[in-house]
Amino acid sequence: MSALLKVSGLSVAYGAVPAILDVSLEMQPGEVRVILGANGAGKTTIIKTLLGLVRARSGTIQFDGKHDLTRLKSHQIHQLGIAWVPEGRQLWGSLTVLENLRMGAFIEHDEAKVEKGIAAMFERFPRLQERRNQLAASLSGGEQQMVAIARALISKPRLLLMDEPSIGLAPLVVRDIFDLVRAINQDGISVLMVEQNARQALALAHWAYLLEIGQIVESGPAGEISTKERVQEVFLGGAA
Amino acid sequence: MDIFLQQIMNGAVIGSTYAVVAVGFALVFIVLRVVNFAHPEIFMLGMFSGLWTALHISDNLAVVLVAGAIGAGLGGLVLERVVIRPLHGRNMLMTLLATLGVSIILQNGMAIITGPDPVPYPTIIPNMSVPLGPVSLTARQLVNFAACAILLITASYYVRGTKYGRATRAVAERPDVAAAFGVNVSLISLITVVFASLMAGIAAVSVGLLYGSAWAFVGLLYGLKAFIILLVAGNRYFEGVVFVAIALGIIEALITGYVSSGMRDVVTFTLLIGVLYFRPNGVFGSYNA
Ligand SMILES: Nc1ncnc2c1ncn2[C@@H]1O[C@H](COP(=O)(O)OP(=O)(O)OP(=O)(O)O)[C@@H](O)[C@H]1O
Ligand SMILES: [Mg+2]
Repeated sequence: MSALLKVSGLSVAYGAVPAILDVSLEMQPGEVRVILGANGAGKTTIIKTLLGLVRARSGTIQFDGKHDLTRLKSHQIHQLGIAWVPEGRQLWGSLTVLENLRMGAFIEHDEAKVEKGIAAMFERFPRLQERRNQLAASLSGGEQQMVAIARALISKPRLLLMDEPSIGLAPLVVRDIFDLVRAINQDGISVLMVEQNARQALALAHWAYLLEIGQIVESGPAGEISTKERVQEVFLGGAA
Repeated sequence: MDIFLQQIMNGAVIGSTYAVVAVGFALVFIVLRVVNFAHPEIFMLGMFSGLWTALHISDNLAVVLVAGAIGAGLGGLVLERVVIRPLHGRNMLMTLLATLGVSIILQNGMAIITGPDPVPYPTIIPNMSVPLGPVSLTARQLVNFAACAILLITASYYVRGTKYGRATRAVAERPDVAAAFGVNVSLISLITVVFASLMAGIAAVSVGLLYGSAWAFVGLLYGLKAFIILLVAGNRYFEGVVFVAIALGIIEALITGYVSSGMRDVVTFTLLIGVLYFRPNGVFGSYNA
């Protein structure tokens, strides 16, 4: 099977300061992969480069074996079926919940399909239906994360990029989010996730990467990665 | 009492034009984070497009208004693609200076072509007054006010009630996220500048008809007012901008009617500075760049 996503030798710098260096990774269709890394390791930079929001210094990003994402604009990349749950949610706070969802379906021109998508999201997140006319900024953190996920799912993406979806949420809500990611993946959506919540992320992922100061230092099946000494030390709090 | 009401009506008419210019200025600032000092000169371009069309092509009111929209809209299109877009992502001050430069070029360029003094507009709307209860407005005032009211309602509907208007608000708040959800941000920026320009162009023709003249330096008058209205209202709420614009028109008219036109700017500017002293972000709050 050909890779859904194949990143090769990707380097990004902000001005003169390198943020990621020679990063290579790939995803097969239907997988969940996680990138673990400490603050400032370059996780968000990788995601933003995939989305065309940050330009690569060098390297290529192949999507679906035929598109080089480094040559496309962000709005064109989204059209290929790549959606984003940004770090810190980044909702449009001055728009209502419903408007946020409609923006998630911006590229769908068939209004009937948009309505169907909204109905499907309200079925999955009944809380959002109750709050559909509230400004997104007025929601709780957990509710905002639901909007961020629903906004990304409504376009039925092939690849979902999730940047620390569990950050800043209460432990119970974190569990819900990981359950949700599992369900999303069972619907056939591939998920590339960035996390610091290593234990839960590794329990869910098929494959994991460890990113340190902009470079991938470990890569392997999630079960194997969780036994690595480096991962134990930094993320899992002690020896195996 | 009737004079008082009459002045309020006159002021509301003037204020409606201020509102159209200020709203266009605000839209561009909020969506593109660009201080477009050339916006008042786009207004002026619309005014002369209407004038030339009336002189050389047709003096049908609708045709002349559309000509104003086309002239200003083309001006906005070129301004966005040639000046604003290439400077995207640079220091905000750079774009500000560039649009200021364009504004000076357009003012003086137009003055070279048409002379430094106001040029008479042909009479398209008869000079008659229309009684409205205790007061009356001229037909020209009514056309000016109606044109501006329709423009403001259209702008409000576009921004609030359409898919592209929603995307425009999304770009204003988070351009990167909007792009990642499929919005062509560069296209939205262009549409926004052109839309603001079209509005200004139509309003400008109605002003030209109202005063019976077009002037190369008319932008100075309206630009300064629009800028001050935005400072006072804040750029956050469309209705706030319209409210302050109409209020400014009414205050000016009352001072002109009861004190003297010489005192008008002194009093209004003092009032506005007073408001800013207490509400530095504007009465209704602002988005910051
Ligand atoms: N816009 C920017 N300009 C300059 N430097 C930046 C910018 N964004 C990120 N950086 C730097 O690049 C490096 C990687 O940042 P990035 O946000 O990708 O890290 P991260 O792994 O997502 O961190 P966190 O866990 O805190 O979100 C950091 O050193 C950061 O300071
Ligand atoms: Mg990050």
